[in-house]
Amino acid sequence: MKNLIIKIVPAAIFSLLLITLFGCQKDNVQKIDQRNWQLVWSDDFNGSAGTSPDPSKWGFDIGNGPNHDGWGNAELEYYTNRPANACLDGNGNLVITARAESYSGSGFTSARIKTLGLLDQTYGRFEARLKTPWGPGIWPAFWLLGSNVDSLGWPQSGEIDIMELRGQKPNIINGTVHGPGYSGAAGITKSFAFENDRFDVNYHVFAVEWGADFIDFFVDSTLYQEITPGKVTGNWVFNHPFYIILNVAVGGNYVGFPSSLTPFPQTMIIDYVKVYREAD
Amino acid sequence: MKNLKSICSITALVTILLVAVSCERKFDGLKLATYPTTADVFNDGFSSGLYYAAYGTSKVTAFSVDYSVKYSGTCSMKFEVPDAGDPDGSYAGGVFGSNPARDLSGYTVLTFWAKASQPVTINILGFGNDMGASKYQVSLTNLAINSNWMEYYIPIPNPSLLTQERGQFFYAATPQDGRGYTFWIDDLKFEALGTIAHSEFGIFNGADTVVNNVQAGDNITISGLFATFNLPTGINEEVNLTSSYFTFSSSNATVATVDSLGIVHIADSGSAVITAKVGNMAANGSLTIHSTGKPVGPATPPPTPTFSSDKVISLYSNAYTNVPVDTWNAHWQYSTAENQFIKIQGDDIILYQKLNFVGIEFTSHTIDASAMTYFHLDIWTPNPTTNKTFKIKLVDFGLDGVVGGSDNSESEVTIASPPLATQQWISLDIPFLSFSGLNSRKHLAQLVLSGDLPDIYLDNVFFYNNGTPPPAPTTAAPTPTFSPADVLSVFSDAYTNLPGTDLNPNWGQTTVFSQILIQGNNTIKYAGLNYQGIQLGSNQNLTSMSYLHLDFWSSFSTSLKVYLISPGPVETPYTLIVPTSGWSSVDIPLSSFAPVDLTNVFQFKFEGNGDVFVNNILFHK
Repeated sequence: MKNLIIKIVPAAIFSLLLITLFGCQKDNVQKIDQRNWQLVWSDDFNGSAGTSPDPSKWGFDIGNGPNHDGWGNAELEYYTNRPANACLDGNGNLVITARAESYSGSGFTSARIKTLGLLDQTYGRFEARLKTPWGPGIWPAFWLLGSNVDSLGWPQSGEIDIMELRGQKPNIINGTVHGPGYSGAAGITKSFAFENDRFDVNYHVFAVEWGADFIDFFVDSTLYQEITPGKVTGNWVFNHPFYIILNVAVGGNYVGFPSSLTPFPQTMIIDYVKVYREAD
Repeated sequence: MKNLKSICSITALVTILLVAVSCERKFDGLKLATYPTTADVFNDGFSSGLYYAAYGTSKVTAFSVDYSVKYSGTCSMKFEVPDAGDPDGSYAGGVFGSNPARDLSGYTVLTFWAKASQPVTINILGFGNDMGASKYQVSLTNLAINSNWMEYYIPIPNPSLLTQERGQFFYAATPQDGRGYTFWIDDLKFEALGTIAHSEFGIFNGADTVVNNVQAGDNITISGLFATFNLPTGINEEVNLTSSYFTFSSSNATVATVDSLGIVHIADSGSAVITAKVGNMAANGSLTIHSTGKPVGPATPPPTPTFSSDKVISLYSNAYTNVPVDTWNAHWQYSTAENQFIKIQGDDIILYQKLNFVGIEFTSHTIDASAMTYFHLDIWTPNPTTNKTFKIKLVDFGLDGVVGGSDNSESEVTIASPPLATQQWISLDIPFLSFSGLNSRKHLAQLVLSGDLPDIYLDNVFFYNNGTPPPAPTTAAPTPTFSPADVLSVFSDAYTNLPGTDLNPNWGQTTVFSQILIQGNNTIKYAGLNYQGIQLGSNQNLTSMSYLHLDFWSSFSTSLKVYLISPGPVETPYTLIVPTSGWSSVDIPLSSFAPVDLTNVFQFKFEGNGDVFVNNILFHK
């Protein structure tokens, strides 16, 4: 028996160390069935520095919302389509820049680009590789909105937030869905946090894989949230086309106010956006 | 994940077994000793090896361990900052050091929780202060803390340098508006956080600085060092750090080099750019140097003086034995002059730079230059000289030989352009008589150089006697032609003189009086005149006279006045123009001497310098 113990000891010690590092929690690392994704749309943002994103793929939301209420969130920025707020950097990235400047009655400018009318899809894998901005009151987002939002209204149209970050906690992102009965603060949400890294230091891939009865949330290759119809506290409204939005907001109910210590300008740097459909 | 569950249970079993089974240790070979990598500084007590030493001038009892107020665990560090004027010490401060030193290279930041009894700013706290060289000290200054526990971060600019650090934590806190307070620190530890980002380092506050016209031999200290980090809360924080975190480099080492302490040494003319790095990260800011190289100076020394050494008293010359000089730069208050002793082609030369004025002193061996007639120096300046002056002052301490004595005298000569000229050796030979304010030159003690030239090279500074006797007139004064009935004569061969006149009364003068014959004509000689009186044989009523006539001769007096004096005494001077070309004759209206009582004149006085010959002193109508 002694020999057995001696052989087990080194292996067990290794496992002990392994567990200490990653935690002994059951649902931390999940395995899912392999899916067969086919790329159907992408933008690698290759183009000359200072040029606007491809207008055949992206449009702009301008201003502070149709109700002038900071897009329903009390955001403080005025979105523009100027290259100063959204342009390619000549190195294969799109850069969205939030600036502290007086503009049309707002104290900040930024950009919010969308594929409304240019690309929408029901189900599939939607991913972006990006580096976030940081600082108190900075709120970047990569999200999907139901294409019928103008006719059906929100939150009936549904919203899938693939990545949102509060700049005063640059190591934490949230993945969320909003729908009727589970919108705003009641959205179904989960955090993913780096203990020893930040989302503004390196590029990371944020993605959702969306099917008829699931929406899976990923940071890089880690699946950190699975939302199914049983988990939402209302109707499952994710069976129609959604389009993509990328923006950096300043201030608002989700993130709080920027402070005098928030370094400006702040940039979100996006390497690519890709859309896949599951092959039959 | 079935596998995961199994490992969990096996581990539990094995842990118990590990405790039960003893281990054998083998000494295959001794490993090199390394310093402990202890992360905790203070967490529920002093970490192993930690000690505390208060700064000597602080209130040494300020620090204690508090078991009731704490952020977490059992206790915290308590600092009681005293009131200003506390007799035990008016601030709190000290060092938490470790023995042995610790290897902190695996950590990225010092973190702690802090709060205070009221909102205060703590003057300074950080790590790397070891009460010694403190080579890798990093600090936050004026840290604002309030009465809520909050977490603070002090990032390590380059952890790989801290393999052997004794200074784990230090602080200094002064009263707030004169009043003391208490603050606490807890959970003080080093961590390897990956959530500190966007570090930036800088020299010269991040600015690209340019400095022109520096010279070889100048030094410049790199300043404005800073490091900024973005904290896990998304805001930036600036810390102070030492130059030891930076490696500096020069783009052109022949022009300028920079040492590990961040001091730039200028070596030659040209341009160089000084930059810095922390680890592999370039620091913002730079220093561009445009150097003019070695200071502009003469290529050759001045001509060697040829005066015979027995006629010279030399202060600074390779041609003579020099008398002792106490200092060539007494660094008097407000004097900015800096001096260097250099050699040009083997000849010793003094270079003054930033000269506004400089005191040169030989007070412990004052110089008797009474046998000397001239002061000489050679001067070379790179500065423009048009409309500029150079001033030379000699100070004599008088009979008592001490500074500030009542018998001090001094005199300053101003040299204009010409003879000053730029970038060539100029020899200045100044007769002592030009130092007209000097009453004596028996106890010369100081030489003061000043003027408009900030850069001068100086050589061959000496006094000399040029050997020629002071000249005297070779012809007699012209014979006056006034009718004797209109004349009251004091001294003249042409008239009968007032009887009983004393031509050399002892009034304490240093003048040497003599009467000599020039072409058979009796003439008064005043040698080395300072002042000299004439006591009339009897008091005179001059109301019937209109003029004072006299003839005078001097080849190098620069000042001469004649006084009439009535009892009181009431005396009034009249200025005579010297030096003269040959004999000068003057007829001075007696009204010029108001308010002297012309009904009762009893004395003359002459005042001035040099050798003066006088004749035909008389009053006429």
